[in-house]
Amino acid sequence: MRSSNVSAYSYIAPAFALLGLVLFAPVFYGGWYSLQDIRYGAPMGFAGFKNFARLLDEPDMGATLLRTFIHTGFSVVITIAIALGLAVWIDHLAPRFAFLVQIIVIVPWIISTVVAALLFRWVFLNDIGLAAWAARALGFGSFQPLTSPAGAMSLLIAISVWKRVGYAVIILLAGLKSIPDDYNEAARIDGANGWQIFRRITLPLLKTPLLLVAIVLTLSNINTVETPLVTTGGGPGDATRILAIDVYERAFVNFDLGGATAMALLMFAGNIILVVAYVRFTKWKA
Amino acid sequence: MKRQFTRRAALLAGLAIATLAGGMAEASAQTIRMWTFLNPAGNAPREKALAEIIANFEKANPGAKVSVEPQVWDQMTPKFLAAAQQGTAPDIVWVITDLLGDAIKSGSLADLNKLFADKWSTERKKDNAGAYWDLCQVDGKQYCMFQSRNYVGLYYRPDLLKEAGIDPDKLTTWPAFIDAAKKLTAKEPAGTVTRYGFGQAWSEAQPDPQIVIPYMLAKQGDLFDAQGRARFATAAGIEGLTLQTEMVTKHEVTPKLVTSWTVDDLYEQFSAGRVAMITGASVRVSTLQARMGKDKVGFMLYPGVDGKPHSPGVMAGWAVGVWSKGKNVDLAGKFVEYMGGAEADKIWVNVGGQTPGLASTPATMPDFIADPANAYLAVAGKGSATAGWLAPIAFSVGGYRQALNKAAQEVVTNGLSPKEALERAERDFNRRNNR
Repeated sequence: MRSSNVSAYSYIAPAFALLGLVLFAPVFYGGWYSLQDIRYGAPMGFAGFKNFARLLDEPDMGATLLRTFIHTGFSVVITIAIALGLAVWIDHLAPRFAFLVQIIVIVPWIISTVVAALLFRWVFLNDIGLAAWAARALGFGSFQPLTSPAGAMSLLIAISVWKRVGYAVIILLAGLKSIPDDYNEAARIDGANGWQIFRRITLPLLKTPLLLVAIVLTLSNINTVETPLVTTGGGPGDATRILAIDVYERAFVNFDLGGATAMALLMFAGNIILVVAYVRFTKWKA
Repeated sequence: MKRQFTRRAALLAGLAIATLAGGMAEASAQTIRMWTFLNPAGNAPREKALAEIIANFEKANPGAKVSVEPQVWDQMTPKFLAAAQQGTAPDIVWVITDLLGDAIKSGSLADLNKLFADKWSTERKKDNAGAYWDLCQVDGKQYCMFQSRNYVGLYYRPDLLKEAGIDPDKLTTWPAFIDAAKKLTAKEPAGTVTRYGFGQAWSEAQPDPQIVIPYMLAKQGDLFDAQGRARFATAAGIEGLTLQTEMVTKHEVTPKLVTSWTVDDLYEQFSAGRVAMITGASVRVSTLQARMGKDKVGFMLYPGVDGKPHSPGVMAGWAVGVWSKGKNVDLAGKFVEYMGGAEADKIWVNVGGQTPGLASTPATMPDFIADPANAYLAVAGKGSATAGWLAPIAFSVGGYRQALNKAAQEVVTNGLSPKEALERAERDFNRRNNR
């Protein structure tokens, strides 16, 4: 028994070593880097927790966290709500039509994020562009989301929802397909209506895919840098300056690599805490 | 069977000899790596000029090869600084002016005096003299030579100004400029603006200096104090930012969307005829002329204040240096010297549409300089000589343009007063630079 364990471990050891190198080495390197005094892009000496302390002194840090929370919270909730509705609808469609709808829904997910962000930017960049024309045609008058703080944040959330809803639909649809028809039939025989079936049977049985979707969406929204960078650049003012943009700007605009690494590490820790909290909160069992 | 074996052996031996010979030839060739934002395989005028200069150099120096590794312009210098510390930097690098001080202080750039400039004649030294040459000099050492010299001023559409009866030479005060911008702003009967008089770019992404900067420079001479702390929230700064933002809020000659426009967006809008005048860098004139037609792009200096005809424009450019710890320092120095020499300077001007780097160059190409389409070269040259401002290198000034662009955004979109916005910009700049 023991020798077979040794053989098994020896088989998976190379893969684990490679994974460790690719996944964990950057984290440890980042940890070491964040404790250094970085000048001209290179560590010049041990700085202790100075880089972290500087972050706490930032007067705008609270506002950046709040914006990140708003962006992530609204994006995740709206995406899941729309995806759930779409998944349930697709589940009731004829197979061929359902397949076609799935293809359409998944397209934004497979488009490059930068390309998608650029497309949205071009649409809203000009006051005589496509969006402005559509808004005027619909009687909304002038429509320039990039020039107002609320508009810019709403646009970012809209792009996030558009981009990620396809992924959520596919996962939730897979969850719906795995629910045996017998349960619904039994409920119907017992006199349950559609809403009651959905509320009492479908939703509880979708707990695992919902949790998975929520975790993936939360992490991807917290860590997204391409969409805000390309679409709004964090502006106007600080309106869309979320944590990921702040890390980027520290590193590549102000060249404060020590501060940027410290902040990235804190975000990494935050990501882990969030995942653990989700799993605990929903008492997930695999 | 035996014959077949012999043939195979002969073939293999031949291949081995050919490979060995190729390897030896490669070993005798010396390759220097260069980081620049220009891609010699590209079609932009400056890229074509660089390709020609490299080809000429390689022809004149058999065995030498210049390998260009194109980089993203605003990340190139920090990347070079990091690579130099780790021993992987290229032999030659183009350093952005804002970070030139950091590059010199880091010890990553070689002294060009030792490599070649000490051997120059007095005439040659005189030919190169000027503010750009001086900027590279620290404690008697010469750390760089400038290429792609840039002067930030104003682009205009000569045809549209002519149509509106506006003489660009007379736009020497801001009120006159605003009047011209109003005349150039065109509206449909329904009120939709089809063309704005003046375009700006206030995005924080890869920003060019906007008009608050020349205004402040004209009034207070500099943007920083001796310790490198920002001097934005001053009376001049407040007036300048008010002027800049009122182009949107009061005079309505600039669209509100400029809060999110990048310089590239601005050039696109200008090319498309959506704006008649824009802030812009002289180095891009040739590119836009190639796209729009030579008669469609003019370049002028900023209007002045307090009776002066022009406000100072930001001078910039690319400080080309040799990595001090590179393996091919001598050859790299030779190429940098050639790239800034008389033959290459003519190519930069003629093919690349760049402002001459040497005092002697204009006299060698009078017809080119006299061509009205190339008048921008003389304008940029005049600006550099009479009104230009080079960012100091005693301290890092990276991020000042972003901070001022954000201040303009805050005024127009968040309703902050220019004073509040500039105080915030000043505080952010100083904090981020640990000052």
